Amino acid sequence: MFGSSQLDSFSGGGFISSQGADPSRTSAKSRDSPPLLPLTVKQISQAIQSSDEKSNFVIDGVDVNNVRLVGMAYKKSERVTDVAFAIDDGTGRIECIRWVNDAVDSKEVEEVSDGMYVRVHGHLKGFQGKIQLVVFAIRPITDYNEVATHFLECIYVHHCYRKPQIQSGHSVSTPSQTDVPAAVSASSSGHNSNQFSGNLSIDGLKGIEKSVIDYLEQPSSLAQEKGIHRNEIAQQLKVPLEKIMDAVASLESEGLVYSTIDECHYKSTSA
Amino acid sequence: MDTSNPAAFVNAEFLKQHVGRRVRAVVQVMQSDGDKVIGKSTDEQQLVVKGYPPSPLSTFVEVIGIADTPQSIQAETWTNFGDTFDVTSFDKVCRLANGDSKHLFI
Repeated sequence: MFGSSQLDSFSGGGFISSQGADPSRTSAKSRDSPPLLPLTVKQISQAIQSSDEKSNFVIDGVDVNNVRLVGMAYKKSERVTDVAFAIDDGTGRIECIRWVNDAVDSKEVEEVSDGMYVRVHGHLKGFQGKIQLVVFAIRPITDYNEVATHFLECIYVHHCYRKPQIQSGHSVSTPSQTDVPAAVSASSSGHNSNQFSGNLSIDGLKGIEKSVIDYLEQPSSLAQEKGIHRNEIAQQLKVPLEKIMDAVASLESEGLVYSTIDECHYKSTSA
Repeated sequence: MDTSNPAAFVNAEFLKQHVGRRVRAVVQVMQSDGDKVIGKSTDEQQLVVKGYPPSPLSTFVEVIGIADTPQSIQAETWTNFGDTFDVTSFDKVCRLANGDSKHLFI
């Protein structure tokens, strides 16, 4: 019970939205559309215009709302109310527009020069048969590990939507500027090996807490109305009482156990 | 939008498959002469990059250009990738981009 909801919250590194339902029952198409997708220009060129009025695009079977690209900016041309440029990410080039409304916007755009690697966030828009990107954020890249991370995320997210189920036990950490190398090695090894030890997905529960909850979830424990005295748990698991008390306090705050007839007796909430 | 001229992610191993085509690679600079750079690819093999590198040149540099032989690239664009760079992850990108996920790139 707890294990599968942990898996859902770690899956996809935040790019795959999950319902909390059993992943093996939902197919890729029935998930809500994700808020942001990392994509390559090649993937965008293969997008299909969806038939509804929202004129969204569909990639890999999901509605695409916002996209993220990493590539080189060039052909920058500043106009009065907007700046147009193209992004070349090595798989293709796409035209982009960044509307400039205030000083913050123009400052952001000033930092971008031709030939510079940038990361853009934007929304796809079809215009006269071409797909353009309406950009709402553009940032220069300073740590070039971001380039590798972005492409690894594109590959991972694509494969997640291709498969009907998410491989269990994948834990992909969302990368940040400061710990990109660690995140990249986690995501790349997670992608390449389909085995991933189950312990990694339950890292919220420490060893002792896990043992306590396991003990309380045994049929013999669940059968007892008044719960189990914590001394008994300490004795059975051969763990000092203070550690049991810490574990129980933590489990109680998570909502996994509750005290019954007095402060010393506990039962698992999964009964 | 234009996907007619992509640059394939390569290391030394995949460079052989893309001779004559546009490629991109990250090399660790070992030696820099006026008109070429001898570097170590992300899979630890020697590559020669021909062209005029920018100066100063950081430890890692990304080159985009045409692969003229299985061990060298004629560079069009040079980008300094800094002095700290995770070659293992970039190498994995090369493998994936030339393997199962090729359709996302080329």
